Amino acid sequence: MFTRLTVFTRLLLFLLLLMPVSVGFIGVIFPSFGYFPALDRHDFSFDIFKKLFAVDGLGRMVWLSLFTGIGSTLLATLCTFLLLAACYKSSFLNKVQAMLSPLLVLPHAATAIALLFVLSPSGLFARLIGSITSTTIPSANAAFFPYDDWGISVLCALVLKEVPFILLMALSVMAQPSNVRKLAGYQRVGVSLGYNEKSTFFKLMLPSIYAQIRLPILAVLVFATSNVEIPLILAANNPGTLSTAILHWFNHVDLSMRLLGSAASILQVFVCVFAILFFITIERGVALWGRNRLHAGKRNFFERSIAFLGTSVLAVYAVLIAMVVYVVVMYSFATYWPFPHLLPQGFTLLHWQTALSAIDEPFWNAVALAFATSTSSVVFVLLTLESEVLAPAKQKVARLFSLSLFLPLLVPGVAFLYGLVWFQQLLSTHALGFHTYIAHMVYVVPYVYLSLAVSYRRFEPRYAYVAQSLGKSPFQVFWHIKLPMLTNAVCVSWALGMAISFSQYLPTLLASGGAIPTVTTEAVASVSGSSERLTAVYAILQGVMPFMGFVIAWTLPAMIRFARTRKRNRFSQKVMRYGP
Amino acid sequence: MLSRTLLLFICVVLCCVSVHAAQPSNQNASPQKKANESDMPAQHVRFHAWGGSAQVNGYIRWLSEQLKQRHNITLQHVKLADTSDAVARVLAEKAAGNVEEGSVDLIWINGENFATMKKHGLLAAKWVGQLPNFALTNPDDNPAMTMDFGEATMGMEAPWGRASMVFYMRQSHLQKLQVNAPTNIQQLLSFSQQAPGRFTYPAPNDYLGASFLKYALLSLNPKQHTLFYQPVTPQALDDTLPSLWQFLDALHPNMWREGRTVVRQASQLQRLVGTGELSLAFTFTAAEIPSAVERFDLPTDIRTYAMDDGSLANVHFIGLTFNSPNRQAAIKVVNFMLSAEAQAEKQKISVWGDDTVLDMRMLTGKQQRLFKEPALHPSALDKTLPISLLAEPHASWTDALRNAWYERYGARY
Repeated sequence: MFTRLTVFTRLLLFLLLLMPVSVGFIGVIFPSFGYFPALDRHDFSFDIFKKLFAVDGLGRMVWLSLFTGIGSTLLATLCTFLLLAACYKSSFLNKVQAMLSPLLVLPHAATAIALLFVLSPSGLFARLIGSITSTTIPSANAAFFPYDDWGISVLCALVLKEVPFILLMALSVMAQPSNVRKLAGYQRVGVSLGYNEKSTFFKLMLPSIYAQIRLPILAVLVFATSNVEIPLILAANNPGTLSTAILHWFNHVDLSMRLLGSAASILQVFVCVFAILFFITIERGVALWGRNRLHAGKRNFFERSIAFLGTSVLAVYAVLIAMVVYVVVMYSFATYWPFPHLLPQGFTLLHWQTALSAIDEPFWNAVALAFATSTSSVVFVLLTLESEVLAPAKQKVARLFSLSLFLPLLVPGVAFLYGLVWFQQLLSTHALGFHTYIAHMVYVVPYVYLSLAVSYRRFEPRYAYVAQSLGKSPFQVFWHIKLPMLTNAVCVSWALGMAISFSQYLPTLLASGGAIPTVTTEAVASVSGSSERLTAVYAILQGVMPFMGFVIAWTLPAMIRFARTRKRNRFSQKVMRYGP
Repeated sequence: MLSRTLLLFICVVLCCVSVHAAQPSNQNASPQKKANESDMPAQHVRFHAWGGSAQVNGYIRWLSEQLKQRHNITLQHVKLADTSDAVARVLAEKAAGNVEEGSVDLIWINGENFATMKKHGLLAAKWVGQLPNFALTNPDDNPAMTMDFGEATMGMEAPWGRASMVFYMRQSHLQKLQVNAPTNIQQLLSFSQQAPGRFTYPAPNDYLGASFLKYALLSLNPKQHTLFYQPVTPQALDDTLPSLWQFLDALHPNMWREGRTVVRQASQLQRLVGTGELSLAFTFTAAEIPSAVERFDLPTDIRTYAMDDGSLANVHFIGLTFNSPNRQAAIKVVNFMLSAEAQAEKQKISVWGDDTVLDMRMLTGKQQRLFKEPALHPSALDKTLPISLLAEPHASWTDALRNAWYERYGARY
């Protein structure tokens, strides 16, 4: 019975992922070959692609997408490992996680805006310098950041956003009971063989950790290559990345430009595929190099530089986050704030009042949507993962399934959402809430799956074997053994799902036709406006909301554990009261 | 305990999922059901309008409160970051064969979005004439009320407000840099040469960017104005563009970030003036400047003025979609928007400050008094000074100009 339920869920999830994306994808493929009845285009041809490849600067756009995508992912992965190597042994690591969490939960658009607040020619950093040199007029022409021609600003913002995510993935892998033991074992072996701390991490522990977080890293890579918000806010526009061009064409007043946008979306898919292949090649190269180093048997591995770099990564983050928090909070309360003063002339609640007077409905909409999507995603994903254990699918089917997971991350949102909205309109014009829920699920499920699958697949199966051999049913094993041991991972995935749902702008706007405003749709609308101060308020709101999700995720496992312990040790409650 | 907690958790989840799946359809069906059942129907009108300005949003909130009281109509402001999102949605609905149950009722548009919607038949026609208050705009004497960028409105959209392009500057910056505020197009060039990096204009895909190009083109070719009010021809472009290119070639290297990148949206101009990265900018909504100063978004040394060689002027409109299910209520809404009371509220500097489209000669003395403004804000445009207005060129010029710009200076995505 339970087994059948899990298999059914797997099928459901498969359809849930495949249907919207493939329908949306069809909505892109047809127009890209010139078929678009709404605009009276009925003939198939390659003309649109010819037009696309004749676009001025297309090569540069593709190059920028690849450079910022691959570059940022490589750099972020490296930074994460340096960070981990530098402090995996200390209890400091948990504090690092908490420290980075503001950036983990801040939506991409808000991150880019926060960076502008700090690093733009009139930002906090320029104010610091300006107050030393007593400049009163900030000059944009002398500045490098943002809008540089090379995409470095975009790359930096992406790195900033990716490191916390990869770190979270790595930590959740390292925190699994089976891994904790294994990694501790590696460490002991390393130390007893005379490897020092850092080389033990890089040579013995990392290969095992990396294998488990590889999938999320590839998802990050795809996302970074096709991200729209960050290049839109930080890239020079002569031209920008391919994704911003796609958005531009889809939003163009001349609706026939949609055809070009559709063709460019197809190109974007190929760009992403190329990025993955390139990344895998690098991965192979590094693995080969690493194996040689391992055979060489040196016990030392850039000990000093790793410690230094790891700490510097941390220091950069600490400084940036402190500056972001300071400047955003200040702006949200500021009256006039002339350059280069470090403090506003006065404080006011006006901006908060303006924003909060209109936030009630969007707030509850966002919470309801996020709770429904994230919670149901976690349930679906858990059952699906269980079905892989209880009733493994044929290899081909399994492969198809993991491909369907990546589809929503591979096809740029603007493109396939348009096709999806068209299809949803055909089905029903009333079920806006349901349409929006589906559009969110398409994005939430893959992330929940990726973050949960890792822990789930590495679950020590011998626990289950023991329980089964003692006569427990599959459901009992799932319920009493697996879930309790995976509470941490489940909660983190749930919070991640909430955060992903909170940050969705285009899916919400397109699928609901604007009838379901959320904090993010309000925030993006305010960003397109002219008030620096209102934007700051919205950036804070956008950060606080997903943060609440993570607070729940961090405290819930402890509470559940506490409740469980109390149940088991009712008699020892007195001890607990005086304990730590 | 644990299993019970988790069981509860799962139950909540499943309830949520099913409720969530069931709820929206009920929610959406209910207003219409009610409409058939009771005599005084609670009607719902969805107004898709750019939501980036606190003043405009506040005014639309006022509108919906008034409409709720007077006509029991709920006006929902769907805030857009980009109006073309809504245009795209209506198009998607048309593509899907949805001709009665559209999700957009009213839409705030003008110029190109209107031309697009008109071309694809996305707007209801001939409803504007039914509005009792439309007569107050005196359309017979004011052709601007029925022409949108040289394109006849054919009763598809009703005028809502009026705007002209004015400049604003940071007085303290100009004093420190020892330059005077430019008052015509040639002075603008010399200003940028004396104070490099202090001025820029948005990319031409933004309406304000395109407007700047039109202003420059009109001002640089004062003798050829008749050409601009006819559909564009290659000959007309050959005659007028060289002077524009000469001007822009000289301007760009002295702009913000040496013209290598330009802002994407008009609103970013105001933001950059606010932070001090720019000292001179321009806008179509002069009244937003003093209210932005009041809200601390712009500093107090801002001064607004109009160029001597003319200000580009245009009207913005409200369109009704072809598939709006709430047509009658929507028409009531627009009629109220055109009432003297609503227009006077909109023109207040403290509210929005958008110029009225009503013709004062058509109003009663009592109605006219609604439009009286108290003392002038130091940062506001002095409307007692004469402004020479430049009418918008024919709509076909916008695309021609934009494409020519892209061809010369490269596309900006």
